[in-house]
Amino acid sequence: MTFKRVTESNMDDVGCFSSEMGRTRGFCLVAPDFLIQSLRDISEFFVSRRLGDKMEEKNMQVADLGCGDTELLRLLKIYPCIQLLVGVDIDEEKLQSNGHHLSPFLGEFVKPRDLDLTVTLYHGSVVERDSRLLGFDLITCIELIEHLDSDHLARFPEVVFGYLSPAMIVISTPNSEFNPLFPIVTLRDADHKFEWNRMEFQTWALQVANRYNYSVEFTGVGKPPAGAEHVGFCTQIGVFWRNSGGAPGPCVSQQHDQHVYKAVYTVSYPSLQQERVLKFELVSEVLLQVERLRLWHLRTLREQKRGAGTVPKEPSVAPSLMLDLFTEAEKARIENSPKPFCEGSRFFVPLQRLLAYPRLHRLPVDEERMRSLLADSVCLSSDGSAVKVDLRNTWDWEPDDY
Amino acid sequence: MSGRARVRARGMARSPGALAGECTQASPSVPRMLMPSDLSDSEASFSGGMEGTSRISQNCDKSVSSGDVGSTFVEKVVKVRRDYVDLGVCTRAKLAHVRDSKTGSSGIPVKLATNLFNLDLPQDWQLYQYHVTYIPDLASRRLRIALLYNHSRLSDHAKAFDGTILFLSQKLEEKVTELSTETQRGETVKMTVTLTRELPSSSPMCIQVFNIIFKKILKKLSMYQIGRNFYKPSEPVEIPQHKLSLWPGFAVSVSHFERKLLFVADVSYKVLRNETVLEFMTDLCYKIGTSCFIQTCEQQLIGLIVLTRYNNKTYRIDDIDWSVKPTCTFQRRDGSEITYVDYYKQQYNITLSDLNQPVLVSLLKSRRNDNTEPKIVHLMPELCFLTGLAGQVTSDFQLMKAVAEEIRLSPLGRQQRLARLVDDIQRNKDARFELETWGLHFGSQMSLTGRVVPSEKILMQDHVCQPMSAADWSKDIRTCKILSVQSLNKWLIVCSNRAENVIDGFLSCLRRVGSSMGFNVGYPKIIKVQENVAAFLRAIQQHVDLDVQLVMCILPSNQNYYDCIKKYLSSDCPVPSQCVLSRTLNKQGMMMSIATKIALQMSCKLGGELWAVEIPLKSLMVAGIDVCKDKFSKQMVVVGFVASLNPRITRWFSRCILQRTTTDIADCLKVFMTGALKEWYKHNHDFPARIIVYRDGVGDGQLKAVIEYEVPQLLSSVAESGSKISSRLSVIVVRKKCLPRFFTEMDRTVQNAPLGTVVDSEATRPEWQVPLENQYDFYLISQAAYRGTVRPTHYNVIYDDNGLKPDHMQRLTFKLCHLYYNWQGLISIPAPCQYAHKLTYLVAQSIHKEPNLELASYLYYL
Repeated sequence: MTFKRVTESNMDDVGCFSSEMGRTRGFCLVAPDFLIQSLRDISEFFVSRRLGDKMEEKNMQVADLGCGDTELLRLLKIYPCIQLLVGVDIDEEKLQSNGHHLSPFLGEFVKPRDLDLTVTLYHGSVVERDSRLLGFDLITCIELIEHLDSDHLARFPEVVFGYLSPAMIVISTPNSEFNPLFPIVTLRDADHKFEWNRMEFQTWALQVANRYNYSVEFTGVGKPPAGAEHVGFCTQIGVFWRNSGGAPGPCVSQQHDQHVYKAVYTVSYPSLQQERVLKFELVSEVLLQVERLRLWHLRTLREQKRGAGTVPKEPSVAPSLMLDLFTEAEKARIENSPKPFCEGSRFFVPLQRLLAYPRLHRLPVDEERMRSLLADSVCLSSDGSAVKVDLRNTWDWEPDDY
Repeated sequence: MSGRARVRARGMARSPGALAGECTQASPSVPRMLMPSDLSDSEASFSGGMEGTSRISQNCDKSVSSGDVGSTFVEKVVKVRRDYVDLGVCTRAKLAHVRDSKTGSSGIPVKLATNLFNLDLPQDWQLYQYHVTYIPDLASRRLRIALLYNHSRLSDHAKAFDGTILFLSQKLEEKVTELSTETQRGETVKMTVTLTRELPSSSPMCIQVFNIIFKKILKKLSMYQIGRNFYKPSEPVEIPQHKLSLWPGFAVSVSHFERKLLFVADVSYKVLRNETVLEFMTDLCYKIGTSCFIQTCEQQLIGLIVLTRYNNKTYRIDDIDWSVKPTCTFQRRDGSEITYVDYYKQQYNITLSDLNQPVLVSLLKSRRNDNTEPKIVHLMPELCFLTGLAGQVTSDFQLMKAVAEEIRLSPLGRQQRLARLVDDIQRNKDARFELETWGLHFGSQMSLTGRVVPSEKILMQDHVCQPMSAADWSKDIRTCKILSVQSLNKWLIVCSNRAENVIDGFLSCLRRVGSSMGFNVGYPKIIKVQENVAAFLRAIQQHVDLDVQLVMCILPSNQNYYDCIKKYLSSDCPVPSQCVLSRTLNKQGMMMSIATKIALQMSCKLGGELWAVEIPLKSLMVAGIDVCKDKFSKQMVVVGFVASLNPRITRWFSRCILQRTTTDIADCLKVFMTGALKEWYKHNHDFPARIIVYRDGVGDGQLKAVIEYEVPQLLSSVAESGSKISSRLSVIVVRKKCLPRFFTEMDRTVQNAPLGTVVDSEATRPEWQVPLENQYDFYLISQAAYRGTVRPTHYNVIYDDNGLKPDHMQRLTFKLCHLYYNWQGLISIPAPCQYAHKLTYLVAQSIHKEPNLELASYLYYL
């Protein structure tokens, strides 16, 4: 992102970006690419920080307060570890009209996620307490606090830090020191109640962090142009971690359910945790693998018939894309599993063999479960240990021999 | 501008001004980045045509005009619209004989249930069209829409807005309304909303708005739009055995039919293959080896529609670039270079596993302007899923059977699905609200009265046969002699050494069935060759001379042999040929029926006439036209023309041409028609008094072009034929894919309407109320569906000098559906259309050039 783009951003650029349509989030003087990128940075930053410690993290819960047009949620949903995504905004109409953007993509029905994901949008205010947001791993407030009047701003830490008390909080707000670089200098958005310089933001953040036993780090997005480095980032960001010694959650008196937010939109994604989806995925993968092995076997037979007696070489041609790229460990696992075999005109692939292939290995099934899931869609050998298919099909492509 | 050129511009006419402020097409190979449109709000998503209206109206008079007859504005809108109906085509007004009534009367009336629903509007319902200007002028359509939608003054109005033109169902108090609003930056923007037109519900413009409303409603029911239809991926029918999911859904449309506004819904399925393009490629490589991998791969993939997982888009594969790898870089919109691998990682958190895969190339047709170069998009095979069924997959019999079992809904099942859709719409709060604010009321399912026309007798050589069932009369005529055929004395059989053993049995069978149908089959010369294409071709080249009447090839497999042999014998060395798979001849127990079928085909190819129906008109020529895209170069279109040569309509003349064009509008009809008339003269020593042309393969929205471009070609060739009394011409557009369905309700169950059912009222094109769309049309059910639901064929008479009564036109059309010699039964379209289809298909799939004219009066393409 060059500075030119930032300063020359005009109504067009802004207009291209839907955030202009609303008022809760105001990167408005910044080109859309830039905003997307900064949101992306934030989500990337979060995930890497988080996953840095625990790679196997599952079931993470993330909320975006003041989610507005839901762009951040749309960016966050690509991370497989997140299983609950919540957006909260005071503009109900906007939530309603943006809800469908969060519904699963068509492709996500074809190739489902590994883990469940639920996305819910709530209509409500960030200074109200709703127990459904308790115990989250991350709460983001992107360009939110500058829209709060002094009364709400005072109550904000109490709710978000004190009551909701997530493991991590990300708060971003405009850096007013950057403003002189813009052609029109007032507040960046008509609805902004204030815009802080770095000192003001950091003072506030440190105070809040101390009070609620969080630690805080500062960063930002939108690098200033050469020669103006001293103004700092266009948008300043505070990243807060709950200190491990601190209170792990809200005290007992607050535990009872408090549902003040109104659910406007909710959607569940198809995932391999759902039996129907898992079964479909498993059967498809099994048949795909069996078909490959069958064709491979036929090829071997053809080559042998031709008399050369040599095992066919792996296709090694122009489209060198071919064949699964196995790691050494995967190769070893496959080699150590029982081999496919032929009996008469039938071709058998042991279930254990199939489970050794990476794409089946990743599915949460063992041999027993696999057998029961396959039972009514795939033909198994009499002892149930292998998949049985005809070695030859009528529609097989028999290459011409010239 | 020619009609053809105009059609090409259809749906693309946008003002150049609208481009300002749009992102540039800097990089030729940018995968779709998260561009504004990805985040677009469906509130503002108009169909293509709506956007096209924007700039036109700016120049138009601001005064209010009522109605739209003769308005250039409407015409322009109509041209750029792409949807089910061809609006603004009014052919019936010119046809005096059907001005008062286009309905027939013969046959037995039958009460029919339909998939049409009444859509009721208040008596005085009107649509108010406003023009909106902004001060300062805003280039961004999205911003304009956002500002208007958020304005409190309009918040409780039902509205549709494309950035310039606003439609409201309620009139604003003032003709000109000034609204003031603020952008997020605090700039004041003045919006001036000016009433331009008040449209009655019969206006074509209203139809567009209604269709937009229903699009919104179906989205509210969590359906996804793919192409024009809406699907529910959350309730898939899964066929894991074949790696397929079927998404149930609907094709819907709102249109004016005779006197009413109707909502049509038909059940539709989207086939999704649970297989990425990369997996497909890998499997293909396993199957066929590497020698002809690239070629086969391109053949099978190009033209298919893929779905990407990381966004909600579908793309057409236009090419495969084998030289680009995921590790190559491309230029992003901001000018920076990035590799595909990094791009997908950054943008979508996707790690590409295969770094050697090629990229798929898709051309994005610009929706903005027709003179911009299409944008090129590169897609990773690993991230694309195949949709639909095509190519090799369709030859998997088991798979097709499994799909058919799921897709083929009985009439009852179909009606139940529709009932559920209607129920869903009426139960959904948002959907109901949407309908109510527009003043629309979703009414009852419509039933109407059709007629079953009398069945036809099949005329054989010395026997008139009244078939038990018109769907298949093969049993009824088994012992009858065909009308005429020359005997087959000098012919060749080319076969591989392996096939030798089946030949004797087959030959004796063929001679037996031949003699019983009056077709004398002599002994052929049998040539045995090695099992490869070159050997077959060499044998044919060596042994075919001028006297050879027919060449039969017993093929070891379908691959290559068929294409090469057909190509050689249809164009280089014109001799009728009959290809048979040796596998077919191995089917013991079916030999008689196989031999019968082959004998019938062979006699047709020799110029034989199999059967006829009674044709009351003397001196009538019927012709069929169809188009087909070439298998290899998608830019080439094969146009086929088949015309009858005798009054009995048993002999056919054919011409075919490959034309380089992107539309399906035929350029060469004059040549074809002149040729057909000359040939007719040769056979009958006179010109035909009447000519009826059935035109198939007309796409949505092309009707106008056919009328303006093809009909004049036909007319001028007729006028210049040199006959004293000019032949009278009728042109009928045949459409197999129409949405309406007709059922009979019997004993509380629903069944397919009987064969020969004609519907020429209520479900047909609108009457007097909508002068712009007044057409002469009817539906005819001429094929039987043993399972599933029969689809009626729609006939639209766009030109008619003959002045036949609708009754006669309908019955003649029905008669022609009996005359396709490749099937001893009724077919869904008139025989000349089916012949033209067969011809173009053969040329597009196998021959790829114009067949030799010496074969023109034989049915060599069967």
